[in-house]
Amino acid sequence: MWLLYERMFASVDRLETRPALDEHLISRIRPMVAPSARLLPVVEALQPLLPDGGLRRGSTTVVVAPPGHGGATLALTLLSAPSAAGHWCGVVGMGDPGITAMAELGVDLRRVVFVPTPGGKWAEVAGELIDGTDVILIRLGLPVPHAVARNLIAKARDRSAVLVILTATSGQWPIGGDVELSIPHAAWVGVNAGHGHLAGRRAAVSVIGRRGANQEHTATLWLPSASGDVTVAAAR
Amino acid sequence: MVIHCPDLIEEGSRGAELRTFAAVLAAVEELCPWVTPVRLGICTIPARGPSRLLGGEGAMLHALRAQLGAVALDATPQLGIAPGLFGAQLAAREGEMVDQDDLSSFLAPWPVSVLGRSELASVLPRIGVRTLGQFASLGHREVFARFGTDAAACHSAASGEVGELVGLRDAGIARRLAAVLGPVLPAAVQPSFYGGTGSAERRAANSATRLQQWLGPEAVVVARPQGGRNPSDQAELVPFGSWPVDGRSKAAPWPGQLPPPAPITVFGDPRVVEVFDSTAKVITVSRQGFLTAVPDHCAVEGGRLRRIASWAGPWPVAERWWVTPRRRVRLQVVTESGQAILLVFEQQQWWLEAVYD
Repeated sequence: MWLLYERMFASVDRLETRPALDEHLISRIRPMVAPSARLLPVVEALQPLLPDGGLRRGSTTVVVAPPGHGGATLALTLLSAPSAAGHWCGVVGMGDPGITAMAELGVDLRRVVFVPTPGGKWAEVAGELIDGTDVILIRLGLPVPHAVARNLIAKARDRSAVLVILTATSGQWPIGGDVELSIPHAAWVGVNAGHGHLAGRRAAVSVIGRRGANQEHTATLWLPSASGDVTVAAAR
Repeated sequence: MVIHCPDLIEEGSRGAELRTFAAVLAAVEELCPWVTPVRLGICTIPARGPSRLLGGEGAMLHALRAQLGAVALDATPQLGIAPGLFGAQLAAREGEMVDQDDLSSFLAPWPVSVLGRSELASVLPRIGVRTLGQFASLGHREVFARFGTDAAACHSAASGEVGELVGLRDAGIARRLAAVLGPVLPAAVQPSFYGGTGSAERRAANSATRLQQWLGPEAVVVARPQGGRNPSDQAELVPFGSWPVDGRSKAAPWPGQLPPPAPITVFGDPRVVEVFDSTAKVITVSRQGFLTAVPDHCAVEGGRLRRIASWAGPWPVAERWWVTPRRRVRLQVVTESGQAILLVFEQQQWWLEAVYD
């Protein structure tokens, strides 16, 4: 019996000391996934801003903007093209979401599940939605503990989901995103001393990313435009 | 509130019960659009909103009974109100209205078999625990240690602490209703929820159902566009898995709807706002629909003053004039810090209706 036991371990030892496979070979053994399948689409206006022209599965995008300055519009726009392409989306912590606005942004509401007031359980709710949907938007209320953020990022990577974090200040999300979008400047047009009506918000959107976009890059967008969607604004 | 149709609980082989149940849902929906089928023969509506609309719970019960009288049923549907689905479906069997304070005493005399757990129903009486009250008097921790998580959940339900219990809801009921009704159904706004069989859809539906079991059905919602005149009426959020009848279509003409872009946040409970002129005098709206002065700054719920950079309006919106003369006036405001908000003047008071975030 003892002998058998020893031999079992002997074989394990042999396995571990086996020469490592050639890197080139490993890359060929891995299941092949077309690059396009690892990328979820985004609306045309956002394509030049994102490192791969889309949302990379397993990645985290952080949208930083103080409340009322376009962050919600920008974050929700990231759901438009994926939901329209058949991907399910989850939205956590957005109380009283304006559904008409989301429809105008091009979000296919048939594939969006909302948990508007998850309370203290938001991280668990987000975790469950990472299992069930492809794009998960989380609006943060309070600073997130490092371990919680790390777990969500790891889970999203594991399930090939896209995490979109909407936060008022970059300090609330302790780990930098793969892509970080911010809105350094925004101004509404169309209203003036009683006349007109809100007809769009011209906004400068900046991006910094870890891969392929280390240089900060800024674009001027209608966030939203007069028809309620997000488009590229002509330079003035 | 739970509506319990005793003769529809057992399902026959020909789908007649499903079709009759669909007729019940359609009848209830005429009174309350929030009807949710729980399982065959049982549906719920939120008691608070509609009862306020119809003039109290008694009036709502009366209206519901009249509405259900038109559906051909062998046994009269039973109606009951209690906090949480578990208590409410029992209250319906007795036709009772149970308050939060009376919930545990209402639950106490029911036999443990109503929990729907055959194992507990056979084991508990052997140790002298026959009723929910006796079960609830056991320590939660002991129940968990001896019988496991599911029994602990049953214990919480038996004591009235938790209103949901796994097994009360039939996750597939909406799909089966849609299937049996076939093309007779009005076009569902969420066809993918009810008819589809894609794996992504099943994955999302499973996830949403688990969250509902955990947080309660109202915590997980999906959108149903309906094309009303206020931002809050143009679409509504309904609990995931709700009955997919679409009342008003988005294409219906609704003059008076605000031009796009629509606000990103639309408050279900508008907050009180004060609007002042440059001399700190409160601004209201005249009978003719004009502002009494030029807006200069505003404060939400007594918060800090925000300077108004520009504004548009006021636009008078008369709505539902055929029911009640309800006049509203709207104002779009851009504050000095660049935030755009939508205010509404109603009942001699400004309200923050929506935010363009």
